[in-house]
Amino acid sequence: MITFNQVIIGHEKPLFEVKLNQLESGKVYALIGSNGSGKSTFIQTLFNEIVPVKGEIYLNQKELKLYSKRELALNLAFVPARFPEVEFMKVKDFIGLGRTPYLNAFGTKTEKDLEIIEHFIQLLDIQHLADKFTTELSDGERQLCAIAKALTQETPIILLDEPTAFLDYKNKQRIIDILEQLANELNLLILFSTHDLSSIAKQTIQKIGIEANTQSNEILPKMLPINEQFPFDNLLDKFYK
Amino acid sequence: MQSRLKFLGVIVLLIGLIVLHLFAGSTNVTIDDFYQSLVNFEPSNTTHIIARDLRIPRLLITLIAGGGLAIAGILMQTLFRNPLAEPHILGVSSGASLFVALSIMSGWFVFQTDYGIIASALLGAFAFGIILLSIAKFVRLQSSLLLVGIMIGSFSAAFISILQTWSEANQLKAYTLWSMGSLQQVSLNQIPIITILFLLVVGLSFFLVKSLNAIVLGSANAAALGVQLKHVRMLIILISSTLTGLITAFCGPIAFIGMAVPNLVKLIFKTQDHKTLLLGSLFIGAIFLLICDIVVQLLAQHLLVPINAITAIIGAPFIIYIILKRWS
Repeated sequence: MITFNQVIIGHEKPLFEVKLNQLESGKVYALIGSNGSGKSTFIQTLFNEIVPVKGEIYLNQKELKLYSKRELALNLAFVPARFPEVEFMKVKDFIGLGRTPYLNAFGTKTEKDLEIIEHFIQLLDIQHLADKFTTELSDGERQLCAIAKALTQETPIILLDEPTAFLDYKNKQRIIDILEQLANELNLLILFSTHDLSSIAKQTIQKIGIEANTQSNEILPKMLPINEQFPFDNLLDKFYK
Repeated sequence: MQSRLKFLGVIVLLIGLIVLHLFAGSTNVTIDDFYQSLVNFEPSNTTHIIARDLRIPRLLITLIAGGGLAIAGILMQTLFRNPLAEPHILGVSSGASLFVALSIMSGWFVFQTDYGIIASALLGAFAFGIILLSIAKFVRLQSSLLLVGIMIGSFSAAFISILQTWSEANQLKAYTLWSMGSLQQVSLNQIPIITILFLLVVGLSFFLVKSLNAIVLGSANAAALGVQLKHVRMLIILISSTLTGLITAFCGPIAFIGMAVPNLVKLIFKTQDHKTLLLGSLFIGAIFLLICDIVVQLLAQHLLVPINAITAIIGAPFIIYIILKRWS
């Protein structure tokens, strides 16, 4: 669970004010906002890479900035927007990198690590990909592998940066369904940023938006929960310039 | 399993080349001569001197230089996520050269001892490694970093040429001989210090395996996996510049191994696991330089070729192949 106390997100200069109380386990949050609104800055802030301009963020009742890198890696997993282009990397080795925080300096995997990797490969039904090189995968398959890697990290929270950006319509739906299913079954907190308003129409997905610039430069934009029903054409102006 | 078989092949090849290297010189030295020279050395016996004071140090420094430069190469390639990164092209070894030139031509005795030269080479390599690391933060394009490295190289080359015009004839000669690269300059009594430093930093590099494996995915991914990027980056620079400085101090700047060997290792083992990549680079780097030096020794009867020429003749076409394969 992530709790916010009067937080202003920004990097040197303030970007927006967080008007959420908390993000809860077992739920999927979709974060929308125009380019440059601060979605990535928000995710980086949750990773302690950027310190909020004001206020405190708590992760399981403990202040975020008190977490060490390793402790953070045991609580938060991250799936970046771009799948890393690396040659000669087998899918199962890539997924296995999720175990990094649990391994010794030499990176030796134990039986248990291998079982966990195998378990999530089966859970996402990607056994047929395991021995391929990641460079041989389609964008949809890559996204599944990136999610599997995040799962093997066994964190209660997974953050994804535009996970549906490079996918076709069917794959977008599939990835979002999988995220929902995972949040339900494993009681995870999943938050992803997106511009695909149509694929997050479902009521079960919590929506959060970062306002586009306010009327006056003196008032900071806000990050708000969106309670309105889809389609929210009328809200486009509010969140997209 | 498959990679174990490949390692077995690599080790067999390495042992074969070690034997070939020991016996490749123009003088005929038998196994017994080697044995006798070690247990029962006679200073008046020329064969003993050749065996103990020339062949054995030359073999050891060839193994260390080949393996060490290849390890420095794979570390930098992973750190900068660039298959063409290596200490030579990134200007790290030019830092060692500049500092060695400074110390040879300073005329101060302290700097002209073995330790003086090792210390300046290490310092120069490390200083330039840190400069490179701080510039790399601002460089987005992979090829730009290589250009930065080449500029650092030209910058120190310019300084070295200015120093040369100021220096005396014997200093100039000492520097020029050093800069041509050679595996014959090392004497037996220097081997222990070189070996200890080498084993220390190579051993240290294996403690970075987990972090290196994660860094392959990029810094955002690695940080999210709990890797202490700042520490790891410094350690990588420390290890690779120590190897570069050490080897450059004794053998002069040897090019192409750091770039060619790790790429060859990736082609052979087809993996991104750095336990395999580090070990593979260590062995295949040694193999590569052994082959080059055997060629040098075989040619020696007819003409003297600097080791740098051979590594370039074999290494450069392979690098072009890698570039064509990747970016065309």
